[in-house]
Order: sequence, then structure tokens, then C-alpha cells
Amino acid sequence: MSEERIEKLLNELAEATTEPVSPHLAEEIKNQIPQRLSPHRGGIDTVNIIIDLRISKLAAAAAIIITMLLFANFFGGRSGGSDGLLQSGRFLIKYCLGDIDADKGNVSAARLRYEYLSQKGEDVVYYGDSADPQDSNAVLIQWKLPDGRYKVVFGDLREETVLAEELVKLQARMLREKAK
Amino acid sequence: MEYSEQMSNSLAARLRAGSRAAAAELVDIYYRQIYIFMRRLGHDSQTSEDLTQESFISAWQHISQLRSGRTLNGWMYQIAANVSRLYRRRHKGDEAVSIDGMDLPVGGESGSDKPANSEQVVRLKNAVAELPVKLRQAVVLHYLQHLTIAEAAETVGVRKGTLKSRLNRALGTLRSQIDS
Repeated sequence: MSEERIEKLLNELAEATTEPVSPHLAEEIKNQIPQRLSPHRGGIDTVNIIIDLRISKLAAAAAIIITMLLFANFFGGRSGGSDGLLQSGRFLIKYCLGDIDADKGNVSAARLRYEYLSQKGEDVVYYGDSADPQDSNAVLIQWKLPDGRYKVVFGDLREETVLAEELVKLQARMLREKAK
Repeated sequence: MEYSEQMSNSLAARLRAGSRAAAAELVDIYYRQIYIFMRRLGHDSQTSEDLTQESFISAWQHISQLRSGRTLNGWMYQIAANVSRLYRRRHKGDEAVSIDGMDLPVGGESGSDKPANSEQVVRLKNAVAELPVKLRQAVVLHYLQHLTIAEAAETVGVRKGTLKSRLNRALGTLRSQIDS
């Protein structure tokens, strides 16, 4: 028997050895997805950001002030549109770090935003650990909106609402840039 | 479900970033495949369900190993293959190592010239079940689960050349079994 014939029979065997799977299996597995898949932790991470960046006490103080502002925003009941606050935070961090670390300032401001949204219960994804801080078009955070579109915060902290297909293209661009 | 490379890379990036929605998407894409993979590795249906769940739980714990450049298929199947191997180690002798447990329709669903083929398929199934573990795993991954050579090699942790050589040896053994 030829090799091609065996391969054809193996294809038939593949078709013959499939069987229905319990419809509940997927749900049972999904129920076991942990609340947090990433090592990011709210609160403690805020301290880690300060340690990670090895920034001055002044900058650390600025980061803490921004965190407090974010919490004030949260408890004040205003919804996610804290773009102005984010920009203010950015300028504050930028001022404290100086121009050299301005991009890092954007990333850490985005990370604060991530923690805020995460604590709000949004399914938010943070890319700041792997994104190029100098790439103004890099996606730093994303989260899904109720209408199925995605809100995206870029490297320069501008925000855009995009469709899922556009998000995939943005992520593909990021991966290409990273591979260079 | 056919997932383009771009979609797969996007899913991997979201998983690395800790998205729960991406984790649920991973379940939807892979739970059937992994269950059938477990069945084809010789586990009974209840054990296969348990091991499928265990594979995903292990996947949540090993997301950090899903580095850029690794295929989602290779990563997921490697975890599943490890879960199966650990189970066998824990329950040595408890369970038959074969794919006999799967219901294989003889002369069933496919056409008038199929009875002869089906007979050969049954013989092939028995021959696959009798292959040494490494060769059987290579055949199951490449011919039955339809992984590429590169993905199958990544799954079992060998070079592509080694996997090709295992497949050649397996095909040779299967051919002689069917011809005899």
C-alpha cells in the first residue's frame, strides 16, 4: 500500500474518530476562568509602578495624587470619560519626570487608567508592559463597550472607539512593529 | 473553526495581556479539539472531559509561556499533551492505552464503496493504537488533529526533522500492519 493511500486512510480515520462533545463542557471550563489572568494587581501594582520606574520622590508623589484623583473620580460617580483627568495626569507625570521619560509617563498614566477600569469591573486589557513607549500609535489599553465596539487608548494617550476588525488590525500592526 | 494567523496572534496577545474574554474565546475554539485529542490519545470519555478541563486550567496558569513567536496551537496542544502524560503517570495501568474507546462506524456514513475502506480504517485504527507512544502521538497530532509539522514538533518538544522521521517510521509500521 502506498504512502498516499495510508495518508488518505488516516484522513478517513480522523473523520471517523470524532464524536459529539458535551454541550456543558465549554461552560464548565469558562466558569473556571480566574478573575485575573495577568500578574497585574490593582493597588499593589500602583506601588510597583513607582518602584519599577525608579522615579524621584516628587514623581512618586505625583503618581499617588493621580491615583487619588482617579479614585475621587470613581467615587464621584462620573463615568469612564476621564480623558481630561488622564491628560492632566500625563502632564503631571511628564513635569515630574522631565522630557526624557515623557513616554514612560504616558505608559504609567495608561496603567493607572487600566487599574481604575479594572476595579470598575470592565474587561480591560493592558499592553503597556510590551508596547513600545515611543510609539504614539501603540495600543496601551483596550476595553469592550456595551455596543460591541472597543475603546482604545494609544501611546500618546488619545482615545478612539474602533470596531473589532479595526482592533485586530491595530494589534497586528503592533506585533509587526515588535517583530522589526 | 478556521482562525486566520492574524486572529490567532491577536487572541494570543489578548491572552498575554490577561483578558478574560480572550480566555473564553480560547475555550470556544479549542474545547472540542482538546476533548477529541484526549479521546484519540486513548482516554475514556469521562476522563477526556476531566483532562480537557484540566488542560484549560493549566493554560490559565501558563499564559506567561505563550511568548510572541509561539503558535497558539503548539502552546495549547503542548499543555494538553503534558496533562495527558501526567495523568497516565499518576494512573499507570488503570486505563488502556488505545483509541479503541472511540465509536468507529464500520461501513457507515460515507458512500457505497466504503465498506472495504471502512474495514481498512478499522485495521488502521487498531494499528495506530498499537504504535509506540511517541509515534502514535506524532500521527494523532499531524494526521488526526491536523496540526502542521512545525506545530506538532512544538507540541512534543522536538525538532521538525525529528517529528518528520517519527511520522515516516509510523507510516512504515502502519503500512506493513495494513498489508499483512
